[in-house]
Amino acid sequence: MSLLWQVLLNGVLLGGLYALMALGLALVWGVLNIVNLAHGAFIMLGAYVCYYAFTGLSIDPFAALPLAMLVLFAFGYLLQRYLLNLVIRAPMFNTLLITFGIDVILTYLAQIAFSADFRTINPSYAGDNFALWGATVPLVRLLAFAIALALTLAMWLFLSRTRLGRAIRATAQNLIAARLYGVEPRNTYALTFGLGAALAGVAGGLYGVVSQVNPYIGTSLTAKSFAIAVIGGLDSPLGVIVGGLFLGIVESLTSLYLGPTYADVASFGILVLVLIVRPTGILGRTA
Amino acid sequence: MRSAIAALVAIFVCALIYAGLGYVTNASAAPVTLGASVQLSGPLANTGRYYRDGYQFAVDQINKSGGVKIGNNHEQLALKVLDNQSDNNLAVRQYVQLVSQDKVNLLLGSFASDTVIATSSVAEKYQVPMIQGGGASDQIFDRGYKYIFGTLPVASKYFESTIDAMEKLAPAPRTVALLYADDAFDVSVAKGTRELLGKAGLKIVLDERYSTNASDFASLLARLKSSQPDAVLVAGHETEILNFIRQAKSLNFTPHFYSFTVGVPSADFRKALGADADYAFGMTSWLPSASQKDDYFGNAEEFAQAYVKRFGYEPDYHAASAVADVEAYAKALEAAGTTDPRKVRDAIAHLDFNGLYGHIQFNSVGQISLPQTVIQVQNGKVMPIYGQKGFIDKPEYPMLAWSKR
Amino acid sequence: MRRSILLGVVGIALIVLATAPWFASASLIQFGISTLLLATLAQSWNIIGGYAGYASFGNSVFYGLGSYGTAIAMVQWHLPFGVGLALGAALAVIFAVMIGVPVLRLRGHYFAICTLALAEVMIAIVSNLDVAGGNTGLVLPLLRGDALFYELSLGLLVVTTLVVLWIAHSRFGFGLMAIRENEQAAAVMGVDTTLYKVLAFALSGVFAAIAGGIHAYWITFLDPVSAFDIGLNVKMIIMSVFGGPGSILGPVVGAFLLSGVSELLSTEISTLAALFFGVVIVVAVVFMPRGLADVGRRFRQLGWRYFAENVRTHRV
Repeated sequence: MSLLWQVLLNGVLLGGLYALMALGLALVWGVLNIVNLAHGAFIMLGAYVCYYAFTGLSIDPFAALPLAMLVLFAFGYLLQRYLLNLVIRAPMFNTLLITFGIDVILTYLAQIAFSADFRTINPSYAGDNFALWGATVPLVRLLAFAIALALTLAMWLFLSRTRLGRAIRATAQNLIAARLYGVEPRNTYALTFGLGAALAGVAGGLYGVVSQVNPYIGTSLTAKSFAIAVIGGLDSPLGVIVGGLFLGIVESLTSLYLGPTYADVASFGILVLVLIVRPTGILGRTA
Repeated sequence: MRSAIAALVAIFVCALIYAGLGYVTNASAAPVTLGASVQLSGPLANTGRYYRDGYQFAVDQINKSGGVKIGNNHEQLALKVLDNQSDNNLAVRQYVQLVSQDKVNLLLGSFASDTVIATSSVAEKYQVPMIQGGGASDQIFDRGYKYIFGTLPVASKYFESTIDAMEKLAPAPRTVALLYADDAFDVSVAKGTRELLGKAGLKIVLDERYSTNASDFASLLARLKSSQPDAVLVAGHETEILNFIRQAKSLNFTPHFYSFTVGVPSADFRKALGADADYAFGMTSWLPSASQKDDYFGNAEEFAQAYVKRFGYEPDYHAASAVADVEAYAKALEAAGTTDPRKVRDAIAHLDFNGLYGHIQFNSVGQISLPQTVIQVQNGKVMPIYGQKGFIDKPEYPMLAWSKR
Repeated sequence: MRRSILLGVVGIALIVLATAPWFASASLIQFGISTLLLATLAQSWNIIGGYAGYASFGNSVFYGLGSYGTAIAMVQWHLPFGVGLALGAALAVIFAVMIGVPVLRLRGHYFAICTLALAEVMIAIVSNLDVAGGNTGLVLPLLRGDALFYELSLGLLVVTTLVVLWIAHSRFGFGLMAIRENEQAAAVMGVDTTLYKVLAFALSGVFAAIAGGIHAYWITFLDPVSAFDIGLNVKMIIMSVFGGPGSILGPVVGAFLLSGVSELLSTEISTLAALFFGVVIVVAVVFMPRGLADVGRRFRQLGWRYFAENVRTHRV
């Protein structure tokens, strides 16, 4: 019984981390209709920012998270403003392709710049844990979970309550009308994409503390983020939390009952099913 | 219509350019060239570089000591290394190119059993020998190929010396958990290890295969904690083992003993883990000891020091294995007295010499037989614990719980 | 007159290509095999992506099914190569029909993502199947001599291109193009969209599967990650898009050009090769999203302004 409880707890905490990874992707996809295949590369870059902040400047990784956000925000803003804005009105498929190309380039440059050496972000408290009703809870994962919730709430508030947030949503829904209201689309798009990248940066920093940092961590994380975003539903940030939790728990349970090699079958299989049966996801409103 | 003609002309021109280039870049004249396709970028680049650097170092050193004596001439060795981007299909194509276009004389191998399984077929097809130090899976040597040789010990015996050592510990572990990744090498290791464990009378309480590149071991660790094995044996890749150890710490799992097929001998792996690497057992087919003499490098210790000086990082058995491959070719060329691939192949099959890597002699299927030395990380350093003659250093056993370190 | 010139050029080209194994070097032959297979894949994608307008990431699934069908038939059941190929193709058709019907109901990027997810699922499933050798893969028997593979690949490309040629001039093809331009209008006009889409998907799949089977036997080693390689799918899309989707020879030209440069880089400046595709994709999508075929057609009118035009219409 306590094995099941531990596995469930693992699943929930994993789900929190997953949700954090998918948040930026869901924002950019749901609002800008850009499917960002380079999302994993942004996560990877965020991890490196935190790594160098920690080992080079002795900044605590959690304190370095805002730094990662800032750096990735700037990077994402520039990328959208001067490259992606050039193709944004083309068929959606084109942005898919171009972000794939960007992913290839970023991974390559990362390897040149950082080398393929194994690295981890290993602060003294990285392995700390405490007991909860017979199960062990890793401290960092719990913190990641809390950060995921906080950021999701912040994003929801931002999009629905602030002027800028509403401008972003307006631009996404009706470009012409938004322009009439004085919204400048190039800047708005760039801001949104920058935000998405910033969120990926946070996820990256935490991933580096929980797991490791190398130029290739991005690829599988992009695929996972997709699954979460779609399963949860792109319409609301809350959907990402739901999607993340759902996937985290499913993977943990599958690993326990079917075997560790079936986790991917489960997650992607569910993704396919959701797309076929209810493409808007668990929390999405039917179109 | 016009555009269709233009299209066809374009295709034609491309083909002609490529064919032309084929004749122009047609290979090197005098020196004896060794060709290899190695993972220099992509997920396996971290280990691939040991091979590129090992090959280069050995070629340079052999040339410095006068080259290879073939017949009455002293020939220099040349090396051509291509980057296969950790892509097996590209590696195969690169080997075909090395053989047929670049006209290298002999082939050196890539890292990773998967890649070696695929690329060794090229060696066999074109009847050019390939000596590789990167693949240990039994599948490589099961096909009756004549042109593939390997300097890594047999996968199925990887844990043999570890299990021997385990039996002699006090109190000896009695239950074991076996975890392995689902690629060719690790599945081979697991298969052999199961038999060895059975013969030693150890009970396997958990026997699980996991996906290569898995990043989350939480469920497996939960099961480990619940089945409470005395010892855990893991056959996998450095990235997974890194995750495993870190998550074992954060989930507070401490068996009495755990051992890993890779990672422990590599300096940057230990550095990434920091103090968390302590107590981990591993194995290596090579240690930089001064007692292993070498015709070109003096001895293994001097080699290791020179390697660090030149490349900026410590060598491990991957690099030593790579050096052994080149040395094997040097000896085989001298024995054969010619660069004819078939004669060199026969010379390789009859080799019997000692170098910094150990005793080089290939069996009938082309594989070397080298014992693994059990090693352990103690206070950040790798200590040899158990070899063919028994215990070398005292093991730190049982493992101290995480909270007590 | 024009027609006979074209046929003449085609004929000469085919004769030269077909007799290549006798006078070209081994590495040119292997480049040929690899490129011909890639061109076939690009062309097969053209059917579902270029003509029907459904950007599929699932062609790597067909490729993988073909590879595994052939490999399992030859290794586990000791059947001859031809039977293996047929088995692979049959698997592809079954898959196309069974999965195609529900999945082709999705539009735009949902379809693309779904097919991408399908590829991931297949990798995961096949890794767990013992008959397929699990994740360690299958080893096929060695066949010396690449001439057979070369001729087969060439033949396959010719057949695929002929099929595309037929599609371009047939009612079926017009139906597909109508679906691409405006699916609802096409349905209203009486086109059985589901049937047409599934047929296109299946046709696309058959050729991809046979290409996979040939490749598996040629390389002699197969494992799930490289058989269902999504990067390969992206490559075939890029080649098709670069050459001109919805055209007959566009994908072939795109494949030959890109493959040639990529192979050249991989063998000479191998460290830059990984970067190459990334850069090509970015440049092509920004400046020539409709491929070389479109460049060919409109460059004469617009000159260099063609590229600027493309950017102008798509930017915000």
